[in-house]
Amino acid sequence: MLPSAGPIIVLDPAHGGTDAGARGEAVAEKDVVLQIARSARVTLERQGYHVVMTRNDDSNPSYDDRAAMANGYRDAIFVSLHVASTGTPGTVRAYSMLFAAPAAPPGAFVSWAEAQRPYVAASHRLADLIQGEFAQAFAGSPSHSESVPVRALRSITGPAVAVETSSISTETPDALTASGEPLGNAIARAIMAFRQAGEK
Amino acid sequence: MPRGAKIALGLLVVAVIIGLISFRGIQRRVKHLAELQTADEKARHEILAAPITTSSDVTQAAKIYWAAGPDRVAPVEVPLPLSANPVERCRQLLHELTVNPPTPGQRTIPADTTVMGFYILPDGTAIADFSDALSSEMPSGILSEAMAVDSIAQTLESNVPTLHRLKILIHGQEVDTLAGNLDLTGFFDLNPPSPPAPPVTSAKPAR
Repeated sequence: MLPSAGPIIVLDPAHGGTDAGARGEAVAEKDVVLQIARSARVTLERQGYHVVMTRNDDSNPSYDDRAAMANGYRDAIFVSLHVASTGTPGTVRAYSMLFAAPAAPPGAFVSWAEAQRPYVAASHRLADLIQGEFAQAFAGSPSHSESVPVRALRSITGPAVAVETSSISTETPDALTASGEPLGNAIARAIMAFRQAGEK
Repeated sequence: MPRGAKIALGLLVVAVIIGLISFRGIQRRVKHLAELQTADEKARHEILAAPITTSSDVTQAAKIYWAAGPDRVAPVEVPLPLSANPVERCRQLLHELTVNPPTPGQRTIPADTTVMGFYILPDGTAIADFSDALSSEMPSGILSEAMAVDSIAQTLESNVPTLHRLKILIHGQEVDTLAGNLDLTGFFDLNPPSPPAPPVTSAKPAR
Protein backbone atom coordinates (compact mmCIF):
# COMPACT_ATOMS: atom_id res chain seq x y z
CA MET A 1 0.00 0.00 0.00
CA LEU A 2 1.38 3.40 -0.91
CA PRO A 3 1.45 6.23 1.61
CA SER A 4 -1.41 8.68 1.27
CA ALA A 5 1.17 11.45 0.83
CA GLY A 6 1.89 10.15 -2.69
CA PRO A 7 0.96 11.95 -5.86
CA ILE A 8 -2.59 12.96 -6.57
CA ILE A 9 -3.97 11.25 -9.64
CA VAL A 10 -6.21 13.49 -11.70
CA LEU A 11 -8.50 11.32 -13.85
CA ASP A 12 -9.94 13.24 -16.79
CA PRO A 13 -12.96 11.64 -18.48
CA ALA A 14 -12.78 13.31 -21.89
CA HIS A 15 -15.60 15.26 -23.55
CA GLY A 16 -18.98 15.64 -21.78
CA GLY A 17 -22.11 17.75 -22.12
CA THR A 18 -22.80 18.69 -25.74
CA ASP A 19 -19.44 17.19 -26.78
CA ALA A 20 -20.25 13.48 -27.07
CA GLY A 21 -16.84 12.47 -28.43
CA ALA A 22 -16.76 9.23 -30.44
CA ARG A 23 -20.15 7.67 -31.14
CA GLY A 24 -21.14 4.04 -31.29
CA GLU A 25 -24.56 2.46 -31.64
CA ALA A 26 -26.66 4.15 -28.95
CA VAL A 27 -23.58 4.95 -26.91
CA ALA A 28 -21.32 7.98 -26.64
CA GLU A 29 -17.69 8.19 -25.58
CA LYS A 30 -18.48 10.85 -22.95
CA ASP A 31 -20.68 8.40 -21.00
CA VAL A 32 -18.38 5.39 -21.34
CA VAL A 33 -15.27 7.26 -20.19
CA LEU A 34 -17.13 8.58 -17.16
CA GLN A 35 -18.01 5.02 -16.14
CA ILE A 36 -14.43 3.87 -16.80
CA ALA A 37 -13.09 6.78 -14.72
CA ARG A 38 -15.39 6.00 -11.78
CA SER A 39 -14.35 2.35 -11.84
CA ALA A 40 -10.64 3.19 -12.18
CA ARG A 41 -10.97 5.69 -9.33
CA VAL A 42 -12.28 3.00 -6.96
CA THR A 43 -9.42 0.69 -7.97
CA LEU A 44 -6.76 3.38 -7.51
CA GLU A 45 -8.19 4.56 -4.16
CA ARG A 46 -8.22 0.96 -2.93
CA GLN A 47 -4.47 0.97 -3.53
CA GLY A 48 -3.96 4.10 -1.45
CA TYR A 49 -3.91 6.82 -4.11
CA HIS A 50 -5.70 10.11 -3.72
CA VAL A 51 -7.81 10.50 -6.87
CA VAL A 52 -9.72 13.51 -8.16
CA MET A 53 -11.76 13.74 -11.36
CA THR A 54 -12.08 16.70 -13.70
CA ARG A 55 -15.77 15.88 -14.05
CA ASN A 56 -18.11 13.46 -12.32
CA ASP A 57 -21.27 14.23 -14.26
CA ASP A 58 -22.32 15.15 -17.80
CA SER A 59 -20.60 18.54 -17.71
CA ASN A 60 -17.90 19.59 -20.16
CA PRO A 61 -15.17 21.66 -18.48
CA SER A 62 -12.96 23.43 -21.02
CA TYR A 63 -9.46 22.13 -21.66
CA ASP A 64 -8.13 25.09 -19.70
CA ASP A 65 -10.45 24.43 -16.74
CA ARG A 66 -9.31 20.81 -16.65
CA ALA A 67 -5.66 21.86 -16.80
CA ALA A 68 -6.18 24.52 -14.13
CA MET A 69 -7.71 21.93 -11.83
CA ALA A 70 -4.78 19.54 -12.31
CA ASN A 71 -2.19 22.31 -12.04
CA GLY A 72 -3.75 23.42 -8.73
CA TYR A 73 -2.21 20.35 -7.09
CA ARG A 74 1.48 20.51 -6.37
CA ASP A 75 2.17 16.85 -6.96
CA ALA A 76 -0.29 15.53 -9.53
CA ILE A 77 -0.25 12.96 -12.31
CA PHE A 78 -2.80 13.66 -15.03
CA VAL A 79 -4.49 10.79 -16.89
CA SER A 80 -6.97 11.70 -19.62
CA LEU A 81 -9.36 8.85 -20.50
CA HIS A 82 -10.70 8.29 -24.03
CA VAL A 83 -12.47 5.70 -26.17
CA ALA A 84 -11.50 5.52 -29.86
CA SER A 85 -13.74 5.25 -32.92
CA THR A 86 -11.24 2.87 -34.50
CA GLY A 87 -8.39 0.51 -33.65
CA THR A 88 -8.05 -3.17 -32.77
CA PRO A 89 -10.94 -4.11 -30.46
CA GLY A 90 -9.98 -4.60 -26.83
CA THR A 91 -6.60 -2.87 -27.07
CA VAL A 92 -5.56 0.19 -25.07
CA ARG A 93 -2.98 2.84 -25.98
CA ALA A 94 -1.12 5.40 -23.90
CA TYR A 95 0.02 8.71 -25.37
CA SER A 96 2.25 11.50 -24.18
CA MET A 97 2.36 15.02 -25.60
CA LEU A 98 4.35 15.87 -28.72
CA PHE A 99 5.35 19.44 -29.46
CA ALA A 100 6.91 20.63 -32.69
CA ALA A 101 10.49 21.84 -32.38
CA PRO A 102 10.44 25.39 -30.96
CA ALA A 103 10.96 28.12 -33.54
CA ALA A 104 13.23 29.99 -31.12
CA PRO A 105 15.38 28.82 -28.18
CA PRO A 106 13.20 28.46 -25.08
CA GLY A 107 13.37 31.38 -22.69
CA ALA A 108 12.50 31.62 -19.02
CA PHE A 109 8.86 32.30 -19.77
CA VAL A 110 6.70 29.21 -20.28
CA SER A 111 3.45 29.91 -22.09
CA TRP A 112 0.20 28.36 -20.87
CA ALA A 113 -0.28 26.82 -24.30
CA GLU A 114 2.98 24.88 -23.94
CA ALA A 115 3.07 24.38 -20.16
CA GLN A 116 3.57 20.64 -20.68
CA ARG A 117 6.79 21.14 -22.67
CA PRO A 118 9.22 20.88 -19.65
CA TYR A 119 7.49 17.65 -18.55
CA VAL A 120 7.44 15.89 -21.92
CA ALA A 121 10.29 13.49 -21.13
CA ALA A 122 8.80 12.46 -17.76
CA SER A 123 5.36 12.08 -19.35
CA HIS A 124 6.83 9.88 -22.07
CA ARG A 125 8.51 7.63 -19.50
CA LEU A 126 5.24 7.33 -17.57
CA ALA A 127 3.30 6.61 -20.79
CA ASP A 128 5.78 3.86 -21.66
CA LEU A 129 5.38 2.28 -18.21
CA ILE A 130 1.59 2.43 -18.51
CA GLN A 131 1.73 1.00 -22.05
CA GLY A 132 3.93 -1.86 -20.80
CA GLU A 133 1.21 -2.72 -18.27
CA PHE A 134 -1.50 -2.43 -20.93
CA ALA A 135 0.41 -4.84 -23.17
CA GLN A 136 0.07 -7.46 -20.43
CA ALA A 137 -3.48 -6.66 -19.33
CA PHE A 138 -5.07 -6.09 -22.74
CA ALA A 139 -3.97 -8.59 -25.39
CA GLY A 140 -2.84 -7.06 -28.65
CA SER A 141 -1.97 -3.68 -27.15
CA PRO A 142 1.39 -2.27 -28.29
CA SER A 143 4.36 -2.46 -25.93
CA HIS A 144 5.45 1.17 -26.37
CA SER A 145 3.55 4.41 -26.06
CA GLU A 146 3.34 7.06 -28.74
CA SER A 147 3.85 10.81 -28.63
CA VAL A 148 1.17 12.82 -30.41
CA PRO A 149 -0.19 16.33 -29.88
CA VAL A 150 -3.18 15.54 -27.66
CA ARG A 151 -5.00 18.78 -26.89
CA ALA A 152 -5.96 17.72 -23.35
CA LEU A 153 -2.29 17.39 -22.31
CA ARG A 154 -0.89 20.65 -23.66
CA SER A 155 -1.20 22.85 -20.58
CA ILE A 156 -0.59 20.36 -17.77
CA THR A 157 2.37 21.24 -15.51
CA GLY A 158 3.33 17.72 -14.50
CA PRO A 159 3.48 14.17 -15.86
CA ALA A 160 0.47 13.77 -18.14
CA VAL A 161 -0.76 10.94 -20.34
CA ALA A 162 -3.82 10.15 -22.41
CA VAL A 163 -5.22 6.64 -22.47
CA GLU A 164 -7.51 5.45 -25.27
CA THR A 165 -9.46 2.18 -25.43
CA SER A 166 -10.55 0.70 -28.78
CA SER A 167 -13.20 0.91 -29.84
CA ILE A 168 -16.65 2.34 -29.43
CA SER A 169 -17.76 0.96 -32.81
CA THR A 170 -16.95 -2.67 -32.03
CA GLU A 171 -17.14 -3.20 -28.26
CA THR A 172 -20.33 -3.17 -26.21
CA PRO A 173 -20.71 -0.41 -23.61
CA ASP A 174 -20.54 -3.07 -20.87
CA ALA A 175 -17.27 -4.48 -22.23
CA LEU A 176 -15.79 -0.99 -22.42
CA THR A 177 -16.95 -0.06 -18.94
CA ALA A 178 -15.60 -3.34 -17.57
CA SER A 179 -12.13 -2.26 -18.68
CA GLY A 180 -12.15 0.36 -15.90
CA GLU A 181 -10.87 -1.95 -13.18
CA PRO A 182 -7.97 -3.57 -15.11
CA LEU A 183 -7.18 -0.15 -16.51
CA GLY A 184 -6.99 1.31 -12.99
CA ASN A 185 -4.79 -1.59 -11.84
CA ALA A 186 -2.44 -1.14 -14.81
CA ILE A 187 -2.15 2.60 -14.18
CA ALA A 188 -1.54 2.00 -10.45
CA ARG A 189 1.29 -0.46 -11.15
CA ALA A 190 2.86 1.89 -13.68
CA ILE A 191 2.69 4.87 -11.32
CA MET A 192 4.29 2.77 -8.59
CA ALA A 193 7.16 1.89 -10.96
CA PHE A 194 7.37 5.55 -12.00
CA ARG A 195 7.73 6.63 -8.37
CA GLN A 196 10.22 3.89 -7.57
CA ALA A 197 12.34 5.23 -10.41
CA GLY A 198 12.36 8.51 -8.47
CA GLU A 199 10.25 10.37 -10.98
CA LYS A 200 7.62 11.74 -8.60
CA MET B 1 -75.13 10.70 -32.14
CA PRO B 2 -75.80 14.41 -31.49
CA ARG B 3 -75.30 16.76 -34.43
CA GLY B 4 -72.48 18.67 -32.70
CA ALA B 5 -70.54 15.48 -32.12
CA LYS B 6 -70.97 14.48 -35.78
CA ILE B 7 -69.61 17.87 -36.91
CA ALA B 8 -66.67 17.57 -34.50
CA LEU B 9 -65.93 14.06 -35.70
CA GLY B 10 -66.11 15.22 -39.33
CA LEU B 11 -63.75 18.10 -38.65
CA LEU B 12 -61.38 15.74 -36.89
CA VAL B 13 -61.33 13.36 -39.88
CA VAL B 14 -60.72 16.28 -42.28
CA ALA B 15 -57.90 17.56 -40.03
CA VAL B 16 -56.27 14.12 -39.94
CA ILE B 17 -56.46 13.82 -43.76
CA ILE B 18 -54.96 17.32 -44.20
CA GLY B 19 -52.26 16.43 -41.67
CA LEU B 20 -51.36 13.24 -43.49
CA ILE B 21 -51.19 15.03 -46.85
CA SER B 22 -49.02 17.79 -45.36
CA PHE B 23 -46.78 15.28 -43.64
CA ARG B 24 -46.15 13.43 -46.92
CA GLY B 25 -45.46 16.76 -48.60
CA ILE B 26 -42.98 17.72 -45.90
CA GLN B 27 -41.31 14.32 -46.21
CA ARG B 28 -41.00 14.79 -49.99
CA ARG B 29 -39.56 18.27 -49.55
CA VAL B 30 -37.02 17.12 -46.93
CA LYS B 31 -35.95 14.28 -49.23
CA HIS B 32 -35.66 16.67 -52.15
CA LEU B 33 -33.57 19.10 -50.10
CA ALA B 34 -31.28 16.26 -49.00
CA GLU B 35 -30.83 15.19 -52.63
CA LEU B 36 -30.04 18.77 -53.63
CA GLN B 37 -27.49 19.02 -50.82
CA THR B 38 -25.82 15.78 -51.90
CA ALA B 39 -25.73 16.89 -55.55
CA ASP B 40 -24.35 20.26 -54.48
CA GLU B 41 -21.67 18.60 -52.35
CA LYS B 42 -20.78 16.28 -55.25
CA ALA B 43 -20.56 19.15 -57.72
CA ARG B 44 -18.47 21.21 -55.30
CA HIS B 45 -16.17 18.25 -54.73
CA GLU B 46 -15.73 17.69 -58.47
CA ILE B 47 -14.88 21.35 -59.06
CA LEU B 48 -12.58 21.82 -56.08
CA ALA B 49 -10.91 18.43 -56.21
CA ALA B 50 -10.37 18.25 -59.94
CA PRO B 51 -7.04 16.63 -60.79
CA ILE B 52 -4.31 19.23 -61.04
CA THR B 53 -2.05 19.14 -64.05
CA THR B 54 0.81 21.47 -64.83
CA SER B 55 3.14 21.80 -67.81
CA SER B 56 6.08 20.50 -65.76
CA ASP B 57 4.36 17.25 -64.71
CA VAL B 58 6.60 14.17 -64.84
CA THR B 59 5.29 10.76 -63.84
CA GLN B 60 7.17 9.54 -60.77
CA ALA B 61 6.78 6.91 -58.07
CA ALA B 62 5.14 8.92 -55.29
CA LYS B 63 4.94 7.54 -51.75
CA ILE B 64 1.41 7.98 -50.47
CA TYR B 65 0.74 7.07 -46.84
CA TRP B 66 -2.56 5.24 -46.36
CA ALA B 67 -3.77 3.06 -43.49
CA ALA B 68 -1.97 -0.28 -43.22
CA GLY B 69 -4.19 -1.94 -40.64
CA PRO B 70 -6.29 -0.43 -37.87
CA ASP B 71 -3.53 1.51 -36.16
CA ARG B 72 -0.78 2.63 -38.51
CA VAL B 73 -0.06 4.20 -41.87
CA ALA B 74 2.48 2.93 -44.40
CA PRO B 75 3.68 4.15 -47.81
CA VAL B 76 2.29 2.83 -51.07
CA GLU B 77 4.24 3.66 -54.23
CA VAL B 78 1.96 5.15 -56.86
CA PRO B 79 3.04 6.31 -60.33
CA LEU B 80 1.79 9.90 -60.34
CA PRO B 81 2.30 12.89 -62.64
CA LEU B 82 3.95 15.39 -60.30
CA SER B 83 4.67 19.06 -60.92
CA ALA B 84 8.09 20.63 -60.46
CA ASN B 85 6.32 23.46 -58.63
CA PRO B 86 6.29 22.42 -54.92
CA VAL B 87 2.89 23.99 -54.22
CA GLU B 88 1.20 22.22 -57.13
CA ARG B 89 3.09 19.04 -56.32
CA CYS B 90 1.71 19.11 -52.76
CA ARG B 91 -1.83 19.67 -54.04
CA GLN B 92 -1.44 16.71 -56.43
CA LEU B 93 -0.20 14.50 -53.61
CA LEU B 94 -3.01 15.49 -51.24
CA HIS B 95 -5.55 14.98 -54.02
CA GLU B 96 -4.26 11.46 -54.59
CA LEU B 97 -4.25 10.75 -50.84
CA THR B 98 -7.87 11.84 -50.53
CA VAL B 99 -9.39 10.50 -53.72
CA ASN B 100 -7.63 7.24 -54.57
CA PRO B 101 -6.97 5.00 -51.56
CA PRO B 102 -6.29 1.45 -52.86
CA THR B 103 -9.23 0.12 -50.79
CA PRO B 104 -11.93 1.87 -48.74
CA GLY B 105 -10.39 0.42 -45.58
CA GLN B 106 -7.12 2.23 -46.28
CA ARG B 107 -8.76 5.65 -46.28
CA THR B 108 -7.39 7.98 -43.60
CA ILE B 109 -9.17 11.16 -44.68
CA PRO B 110 -12.92 11.65 -45.21
CA ALA B 111 -13.86 11.24 -48.88
CA ASP B 112 -15.51 14.67 -49.11
CA THR B 113 -12.34 16.48 -48.01
CA THR B 114 -10.92 18.98 -50.47
CA VAL B 115 -7.77 21.08 -50.35
CA MET B 116 -9.02 24.66 -50.44
CA GLY B 117 -5.60 26.26 -50.39
CA PHE B 118 -1.95 25.38 -50.13
CA TYR B 119 0.94 27.74 -49.50
CA ILE B 120 4.65 27.39 -48.77
CA LEU B 121 6.43 30.11 -46.81
CA PRO B 122 10.09 30.95 -47.51
CA ASP B 123 11.20 29.13 -44.32
CA GLY B 124 9.76 25.83 -45.60
CA THR B 125 6.51 26.03 -43.62
CA ALA B 126 3.66 24.43 -45.57
CA ILE B 127 0.14 25.67 -44.85
CA ALA B 128 -2.59 23.27 -45.92
CA ASP B 129 -6.14 24.58 -45.82
CA PHE B 130 -8.75 21.82 -45.93
CA SER B 131 -12.52 21.94 -46.26
CA ASP B 132 -14.78 21.43 -43.23
CA ALA B 133 -15.22 17.76 -44.12
CA LEU B 134 -11.75 16.93 -42.81
CA SER B 135 -12.95 17.88 -39.34
CA SER B 136 -16.71 17.31 -39.43
CA GLU B 137 -16.58 13.85 -41.05
CA MET B 138 -13.50 12.59 -39.20
CA PRO B 139 -14.23 9.77 -36.71
CA SER B 140 -13.38 11.22 -33.29
CA GLY B 141 -10.47 9.62 -31.45
CA ILE B 142 -6.75 10.17 -30.81
CA LEU B 143 -5.84 7.17 -32.97
CA SER B 144 -7.96 8.05 -36.02
CA GLU B 145 -7.04 11.73 -35.89
CA ALA B 146 -3.33 10.97 -35.47
CA MET B 147 -3.44 8.56 -38.44
CA ALA B 148 -5.08 11.23 -40.59
CA VAL B 149 -2.43 13.83 -39.76
CA ASP B 150 0.36 11.24 -40.09
CA SER B 151 -0.84 10.32 -43.57
CA ILE B 152 -0.87 13.99 -44.64
CA ALA B 153 2.45 14.88 -43.01
CA GLN B 154 4.36 11.79 -44.12
CA THR B 155 3.04 11.98 -47.69
CA LEU B 156 4.25 15.59 -47.98
CA GLU B 157 7.52 14.90 -46.16
CA SER B 158 8.43 11.93 -48.38
CA ASN B 159 7.78 13.66 -51.68
CA VAL B 160 8.70 17.29 -51.04
CA PRO B 161 12.01 17.39 -49.17
CA THR B 162 12.15 21.19 -48.99
CA LEU B 163 9.27 21.30 -46.47
CA HIS B 164 10.23 21.65 -42.81
CA ARG B 165 6.93 21.96 -41.00
CA LEU B 166 3.22 21.82 -41.61
CA LYS B 167 0.30 23.87 -40.38
CA ILE B 168 -3.22 22.55 -40.93
CA LEU B 169 -6.15 24.97 -41.30
CA ILE B 170 -9.83 24.11 -41.63
CA HIS B 171 -11.78 26.37 -43.98
CA GLY B 172 -9.16 29.09 -43.67
CA GLN B 173 -9.16 29.10 -39.88
CA GLU B 174 -6.90 27.76 -37.18
CA VAL B 175 -8.97 25.29 -35.13
CA ASP B 176 -8.35 23.89 -31.67
CA THR B 177 -8.58 20.22 -32.59
CA LEU B 178 -9.13 18.04 -35.65
CA ALA B 179 -12.15 16.15 -34.29
CA GLY B 180 -12.03 16.74 -30.54
CA ASN B 181 -8.63 15.32 -29.62
CA LEU B 182 -5.65 16.13 -31.81
CA ASP B 183 -4.19 19.61 -31.30
CA LEU B 184 -4.11 21.62 -34.53
CA THR B 185 -3.00 24.92 -32.99
CA GLY B 186 0.68 24.09 -33.47
CA PHE B 187 2.91 22.89 -36.29
CA PHE B 188 3.94 19.40 -37.34
CA ASP B 189 7.65 18.85 -37.99
CA LEU B 190 8.61 17.60 -41.47
CA ASN B 191 12.08 16.64 -42.69
CA PRO B 192 13.88 17.59 -39.46
CA PRO B 193 17.22 19.19 -40.32
CA SER B 194 20.07 16.72 -40.17
CA PRO B 195 22.81 17.41 -37.61
CA PRO B 196 25.60 19.63 -38.94
CA ALA B 197 28.35 17.71 -40.69
CA PRO B 198 31.68 17.59 -38.88
CA PRO B 199 34.13 20.21 -40.12
CA VAL B 200 36.24 19.03 -43.04
CA THR B 201 39.89 18.94 -42.11
CA SER B 202 42.42 19.69 -44.74
CA ALA B 203 46.13 18.97 -44.82
CA LYS B 204 46.65 22.24 -46.59
CA PRO B 205 46.96 25.33 -44.40
CA ALA B 206 44.26 27.90 -44.88
CA ARG B 207 45.36 30.88 -46.90
